[in-house]
Amino acid sequence: MGFIYPNKSTWAILIVVYPYLTGIVAGAFILASLVKVFNVVEVQPIYRLALLTALSFMLVAGMPLQLHLGHPERAYEIFFTPQPTSAMAMFGFVYLWYLLGILLIEIWFEYRQQLVLMARQSRGLLKGIYSALSLFSKDLSPEALAFDHKASKLITIIGIPSAFLLHGYVGFIFGSVKANPWWGSVLMPIVFLMSAIVSGIAMVMFLYILLSLVRNEKLDMRCLDKIGLFLLVAIIVDFVLEALDYIHRLYQSEESIGILTQLVSSKLFLSLVVVQLLLGMLLPLVVLVLVRSVRFNEELRKLLYFTTSLLILLGIFSMRWNVVIGGQLYSKSLRGLMAYKMEITGIESLLTALALLALPFIILAVLYRLLPPRWMESHSPTGIDRPTGVLT
Amino acid sequence: MKLPEQVTRLGIVIAVIVAVVLLLRFVILPESLFSARPHQAAAAEREMAKPLRHAGVAVCRECHEEQFELKYGGKHRTIGCENCHGPAASHAADENAAKPPLPREREACLACHGYDSSRPNGFPQVDPLEHRPRKKCVTCHDPHDPVPPKAPTECTGCHGRIEHTKAMSTHALLPCASCHAVDAQHMTEPRLALPTKPDSREVCGRCHVPGATDPAASKVSVDMAAHGGTYVCWECHYAHLPEGRK
Ligand code: HEC
Ligand code: HEC
Ligand code: HEC
Ligand code: HEC
Ligand code: HEC
Ligand code: HEC
Ligand code: HEC
Ligand code: HEC
Repeated sequence: MGFIYPNKSTWAILIVVYPYLTGIVAGAFILASLVKVFNVVEVQPIYRLALLTALSFMLVAGMPLQLHLGHPERAYEIFFTPQPTSAMAMFGFVYLWYLLGILLIEIWFEYRQQLVLMARQSRGLLKGIYSALSLFSKDLSPEALAFDHKASKLITIIGIPSAFLLHGYVGFIFGSVKANPWWGSVLMPIVFLMSAIVSGIAMVMFLYILLSLVRNEKLDMRCLDKIGLFLLVAIIVDFVLEALDYIHRLYQSEESIGILTQLVSSKLFLSLVVVQLLLGMLLPLVVLVLVRSVRFNEELRKLLYFTTSLLILLGIFSMRWNVVIGGQLYSKSLRGLMAYKMEITGIESLLTALALLALPFIILAVLYRLLPPRWMESHSPTGIDRPTGVLT
Repeated sequence: MKLPEQVTRLGIVIAVIVAVVLLLRFVILPESLFSARPHQAAAAEREMAKPLRHAGVAVCRECHEEQFELKYGGKHRTIGCENCHGPAASHAADENAAKPPLPREREACLACHGYDSSRPNGFPQVDPLEHRPRKKCVTCHDPHDPVPPKAPTECTGCHGRIEHTKAMSTHALLPCASCHAVDAQHMTEPRLALPTKPDSREVCGRCHVPGATDPAASKVSVDMAAHGGTYVCWECHYAHLPEGRK
């Protein structure tokens, strides 16, 4: 009976977490693809890290949806009873394709040589695991390795549009809600995509610096500066797109503009103007421009990159919040603002969201142990050539 | 060109996945998942297998005719008993096994009647903070026949103690209005329209001066200039029981 005539927020914080996670997947993958497809040699050191990051976040990305819908045991039905008229239902296929068709296969080809070697050099359970992961393949002939290399390049080429699809799709789902003026915009998929790229790059940058601190490894500053450059470009494009979206709305001045203005200047002021725009976009923009124009020393640059990446990650989370929650904070008759009260415990609560945000890092820690990205540098037996280091 | 070894292995994995999917689709999963009619039949079967938790109004009526009649004649006509009392099939089967709860808390009513701008025009709603805060709704409204209680027409309805005190006093025959001017609004929204109260000695003097002309005047009179000094009379006499001494 509590549901008599409801008109409240139905998409809660988990639906904020979900585009945040998929965004990082798409962004990290696109960063990785720069190495393979565009031969950006400088970024080579983070290639494998970016792939593992994408995989860790991908494995968690579907969970918020499962928890929100509340029947994970029925999820498979999406695939067995395809519903081509539902954008949300078809997303299952996009997700599956990206996970199985792109990410896992790419990582497999990339790591096959290492897996074979690791299986040879370890014993017991680990040997079993590595052999199984390598699908019991043994062939390390130069032709086979060259094939791995070609295959992973080919998959990356297919992977780029797929990653675009993955996150553009999330934007599409919001952008196609024409009854909601805060969401319904053709720019939405591109805005989502650009912000995904920004967040993915920021996440890899953050992890790269963090790992080097934790594991006491030397950072490749050339690589970091290059990532910084890509980050700068991505932020500029993202900023231009979002600014365009707002200016367009203001100029069009449709009937919803009154309530949206009220929304932005009251309920979303902190999360949109302060966190998303000032802290998450303009401040990083200024810092990244400064880093490129002034000659700071290495330590300071590291520190600036680290804080910038954190700010950006916070800003993009805010952006997801502003879209998802913001779009439900005014009545659909445009007559007034509504409220969203976040639960602290329970299924769709703050605690669940925090757990889901922490989970990818735990998975990444496991993957990082299992598939050390830099293993080949120290273990590669002489005589076997290392195609991953050789760029063709 | 010879097919590289790893492609064969990957191919086997993919073939296994495809085979599992096909197996699931055509052998293991029931047809009812894919086509409408068997799907509906299966859904009906699945639902019917669930234990019954609600008995329905008709069953309640057999034993609770009184509540049923009351509710049926009132505004809650369309609300099922178990909407408020919770699923009660086990109680209906054996009335002593389990007694349905009585939802006396304010929240139970506010779920439907708490103010929410999105409810349709005219639906009776109250602001929980303003509408008799903290008092249980059922002290004033009968849940089975929820007419808004009628506002009392007599002062006794709300000022019973004063009325009773006065009735035992020498002022018993005086109507309240002889000392208080009461606006009609006070009877429904008392705090929004407070009556007047005597504000000078002359109000009492009207009846208690020697040779007073008021038809209700008292036989007992006092010297207004001297009696009680300059104090207002009710410093010493409680007006609703004037002979009592403070
Ligand atoms: C077979 C007869 C019977 C049926 C059917 C029945 N009840 Fe009762 N009900 C009783 C009896 C007997 C009592 C106990 C009265 C008492 O203790 O004074 C009772 C008590 C109650 C009470 C009061 C509990 C309390 O704590 O005072 C409620 C509420 C109630 N029933 C609701 C229902 C509802 C709702 C239904 C329909 C689903 C229903 N009953 C069907 C016989 C029945
Ligand atoms: C709007 C909610 C509501 C509905 C609908 C409702 N009840 Fe009640 N009922 C209550 C509440 C609240 C009480 C407790 C009243 C009190 O304690 O003053 C109650 C009390 C009772 C009692 C205890 C005796 C009494 O009258 O106080 C019985 C029996 C009962 N209800 C049966 C029924 C039956 C049978 C129906 C359906 C015909 C029904 N109720 C429908 C809210 C409801
Ligand atoms: C399941 C929803 C629901 C619950 C719970 C509920 N009511 Fe109602 N109530 C209604 C409906 C529906 C009406 C009839 C509205 C109409 O006539 O338009 C109504 C009418 C009323 C009215 C009559 C208003 C008028 O203008 O005549 C009062 C008073 C009332 N309810 C009080 C209560 C109280 C007290 C409770 C708690 C014991 C309660 N209601 C619980 C749905 C509910
Ligand atoms: C102290 C007695 C008292 C209490 C307690 C009380 N009410 Fe009322 N209620 C009234 C009176 C008197 C009226 C009619 C005059 C008015 O509107 O104030 C009324 C009117 C209503 C109406 C009709 C409003 C309309 O617009 O038609 C509803 C609904 C209602 N009450 C629900 C509730 C609910 C729900 C609660 C508990 C949260 C509650 N009442 C508690 C005395 C009370
Ligand atoms: C619906 C209930 C109700 C009825 C009926 C009612 N009153 Fe009141 N009356 C109140 C309430 C409530 C107050 C305020 C008490 C308080 O503020 O402590 C009040 C206050 C008063 C006061 C004191 C005003 C003051 O400034 O302190 C007087 C005098 C009074 N009422 C007289 C009457 C008379 C005479 C009648 C009958 C004609 C009457 N009332 C009927 C509820 C009622
Ligand atoms: C003889 C004049 C007189 C009559 C008749 C009278 N009152 Fe009063 N009433 C007073 C006076 C005097 C006060 C006290 C004024 C003051 O303290 O400021 C008073 C105060 C009150 C108050 C305020 C609360 C209190 O106890 O101080 C209420 C309520 C009240 N009267 C109700 C009534 C009601 C109800 C009646 C009819 C049953 C009634 N009065 C009849 C003179 C009268
Ligand atoms: C409308 C006329 C009227 C007003 C006004 C009035 N009284 Fe009286 N009073 C009476 C009547 C009548 C009696 C009963 C005695 C009698 O039979 O004459 C009485 C009796 C008394 C008595 C008791 C006399 C005795 O026999 O001991 C006192 C004291 C008293 N009134 C004080 C007051 C005070 C104080 C006020 C002002 C707050 C007041 N009266 C206002 C008519 C009035
Ligand atoms: C300072 C306190 C005081 C004040 C003020 C006061 N009285 Fe008295 N009143 C008394 C006392 C004491 C008596 C009792 C005298 C007695 O029994 O001889 C009394 C007696 C009375 C009597 C009864 C006389 C009798 O012959 O039995 C009336 C009538 C009366 N007062 C009216 C009033 C009126 C009217 C006022 C306001 C104008 C008033 N009083 C103010 C203290 C006071």
